[in-house]
Order: sequence, then C-alpha cells, then structure tokens
Amino acid sequence: MNKRINRSRILAVLLAGAALFPPLSVHAGSCCGGAGGTGLVLPKFYSAMVDVSSDIEIYNGYWDQRGIHRADPPGSDLQQYRLNLGYGQRFSPRWQASIVVPYVWNDNAYNNFSSRTDGLGDITMNLWYEPFDDESAWKVRNLKDMTPSVLIGPSLLVPTGISPYDEVTSSFDVTGRGFYRVDGNVMIAKTIHPWTASLSLSYGAYVERSVNREYGNYVEPYRRKLGDRSSAVLSIGYIYYLGTGGDALTGTASLSQISEAEGTIEGVSDPSSGFKKTSAGGSLAYSSTDHDWSVRVSMSHAILLDGWGSNFPTTDIYTLGVSYGFR
Amino acid sequence: MASVKTRPLWVLLFLMAGCGGMMDDIAPSGADKRPAVTCGITGPDVCQIATDFTLTDTLGNIVTLSSVISSPGVRGTVIYFTMWCPVCDMHMSNMRSTVLPNYPDVRFFLVDYVSGSVVNARNAELSNGYAGSGFTVLADTTLAVLDLFHGTMGTTVVIDRAGIVRLNEDYKDGARLRASLSALP
Repeated sequence: MNKRINRSRILAVLLAGAALFPPLSVHAGSCCGGAGGTGLVLPKFYSAMVDVSSDIEIYNGYWDQRGIHRADPPGSDLQQYRLNLGYGQRFSPRWQASIVVPYVWNDNAYNNFSSRTDGLGDITMNLWYEPFDDESAWKVRNLKDMTPSVLIGPSLLVPTGISPYDEVTSSFDVTGRGFYRVDGNVMIAKTIHPWTASLSLSYGAYVERSVNREYGNYVEPYRRKLGDRSSAVLSIGYIYYLGTGGDALTGTASLSQISEAEGTIEGVSDPSSGFKKTSAGGSLAYSSTDHDWSVRVSMSHAILLDGWGSNFPTTDIYTLGVSYGFR
Repeated sequence: MASVKTRPLWVLLFLMAGCGGMMDDIAPSGADKRPAVTCGITGPDVCQIATDFTLTDTLGNIVTLSSVISSPGVRGTVIYFTMWCPVCDMHMSNMRSTVLPNYPDVRFFLVDYVSGSVVNARNAELSNGYAGSGFTVLADTTLAVLDLFHGTMGTTVVIDRAGIVRLNEDYKDGARLRASLSALP
C-alpha cells in the first residue's frame, strides 16, 4: 500500500516537472524580435505528453545599453499574447523529443496610433537524453542517493515566425527572429522530499544568413548573424501533497539570466546588438496522476532596477499551462 | 508510410508551409531583388528627391527640411525614426558615439512617431537621456513623415543639401551610414 502511495507521489511530482523547468527561452516582443518557443520535458514513466499554455507579456520600459532602466513612451500600452502548443514523445527510457509551436498576438497602443497583429512564432524542437535518474527522492542514505536527474540534448529554433526580413510593413508585425539557432542544453534536478531544485543551462549559436529585405523593402544583400546566446535558470521548489493519493501542489521560485552576444554584419561585429536580461519567477503546479493532468500558473518578473539587464525590454510574463501525459 | 504517431507532425509541417512569407526565413535568399528606381523624381528611395516636410521639435521650434539642408555650412541631414525601444536606443547610442561627432556639418534628427504630441516627445527624450545629445527630436504626431519615407523603427534616411535621398534603410552597425555621410558632396 505504502509503495503504491509512494509511486503515485513520485508520478505526481514528475508530472509537475514542467513547472520545475522554467522556460529557457526569452520573449522579446514585436519591437525587438518576437517570441520563441519554450522547452518541453516529458516526465519519466510517460510515453507522450501534450502541453498547452498561454502567455501574457506586459511591457514596462527597457534597460538601455548601459543597463539603466528607461520608461516606455508616455501613454503607451504594449503587450504580447502567445498560445504555445507542445507535444513530447518518448522513444526509449532515456530518449525523448518535443516540439513547441507558438502563435503570437502583438497588441501595441501609443498616444497617436495602435497596432494589432498576429502570426506564427518561431518553433522550437528538442531532443533529450537522460543519462541519470533521480532514484532516491525520499531519504538520503548514502552518496549515490544524491544523484540528480540529468537531461542533456540539443534544440533547434526554426524561424517560422514573421521576422523583419519577411514581407512586413513595420516592426509591429514581427513574431520571430528570422534565424535558425542550435542550442546545447543541460537540465539537472534533484528532489529530496518535500524539496526540489533544478538548474538549466543552455548555450546556442545562430546560423548566419543572407538578408535582402528589411521591413518589406528590398535592400542590397548582405550577410547577418545574431550573437551567441547563453542562459541559466536556477529554481527551488516545495512539494505539498494533497491527501494520500497522487495529487500534489508544487510551488517553485526561480532566478534566470539570459544574454546574447554581439552579432555580426558581413563578419564584422555589430556593436548595436546583443542584450542581457535577469528575471525572477514563481510558479504553482497542481498535478494528479489519477487523471494524468497537470495545471500550472507562473510568473516571470523583470527586476526594474538599473544593472539587471541591458538593451532589452523589461517585461512581466504570466503563464497558464495545462499538460496531459500518456502512459 | 507515416506512422500514426508522426502523422500530426507531417500535417503541421504541411500547414506551416502554407504560411505566407515563412519561406523567406526558412530558406533565405541572397539575391538582389531591389526594384528599379526612377531617379530625380520626388520619392523616398535612394537617388530620388525627398518630399519637403515641416515638423515641430521638442523645444517648440518649427523645423522644415528644405530650410535645414539649405542652411550655410550644412552638407546634409540624417533622419532616424525612433519609438524609444531598446533596439532604437542601441542604434541611437551607436550613432551618438561613432557617427555624430565626426560630421559637424550634418544635422541629426530623431523622429518620434509614437509619443503623439510635442510635450510627450520631450518627456520621452528626457527620460531616455537624449536631452542635449546633439540630436534634434522631432514630433511626428500624425505619422506623416513616417509614411513619407516608408519608415518604421530604425529606419535611417540621409538627405544631401540638394534634397536627394542618399540612404534609406534599417540602421545596422553605423558603417553604411558613415560611408553615406562621407560621400556627401
């Protein structure tokens, strides 16, 4: 009986795994390069998973090149909404893959005009390998019990969104970056009930491309590449079990930083590119193995202080997500 | 034959392939597709004659393009369209440090097309740290000048003293702007 309860509890925590791995990507809105998909991790013991989430990203100024926080123009109201459809498939006990497809709505209002546009965002595809499992989540008896679960793997950002290099009329139409990016990702998580912690690291390089059009106008062709991107997310969570079944509530707090180095134009470094953003986040996930559902709400808050970012919008992102796992 | 598990993926890819403009990024082209431009007529493109316009700057002065470029000692003007965003700030900072000081005989204008009034444009200029920067901020409250040059965020226009458009494109690293300004007659 106890074994069955324990197994249900483990499954519940694993099902809430999405909440423990905050999104690695960053969103940059219509002015600055559009949305990117988020990673999807399939819990152990599940063969597939469908994940649907919606984001609301609210703009509140930006950090300038020197890291000083600046206000948006007076009277402006800038928001982006996203609907993310994710699907994960396990191919073997240690291999899984996932895809996240975002659809983006830009809603920008200024004193003298407003703009509402929408379109597909950039799609993210992930491949994960799980070399280690977190097998002892209940009691630490020896050093082996401290082994965390580890996932490593590449991801590919596919420029399916509307970029400045497509047939667009203004920057408000943009929903994607316009570049392929290949990332190497590592996720490490350890649970010692009722606490859990995770660290996600990612490093990615964009693929250089030709550009012959900017905001709808054909230009003299040139080669462009965005700068390498690195990100880190550290999170700690607390698991609260509801009753003796498989229901659990997991609260998570996280700190994340993402940065992009200077890009290049015709192979020469572009000093008017690159950014950095630091944000704090929190999430609450309810998971039930009785029905294989998980629901989460999360918030990512940009710290509106000088030095917590540079050349990037300060935005708060609110997310509501639902996952269903297939055993 | 696609398995049942992979069929949704193929359907998705098929639907995506139908989305307009996506292939421009999926398989970018390096072909020069610039349309032929008739030089010497009024228009926003390079080698055309810029339409004259008048805007109010953030200090309340009336600024007319033809008056600016015909001022003694002025070789031309730079017009940059800003919406006070981080990308705009990067461009403007770069221009401020690497371009503006080297061309004292060129007038640099930031055209604010989002604030909607001279007062709001002035507030945006102050809060973004561009007061006394060497740029003159113009309030394009009706978007007339933005439309005139087919501009958007980051569009940079160079006009010589004869009123000829020498550059009209998205700001990059400043190199093309410097080259254009150095070539002004």
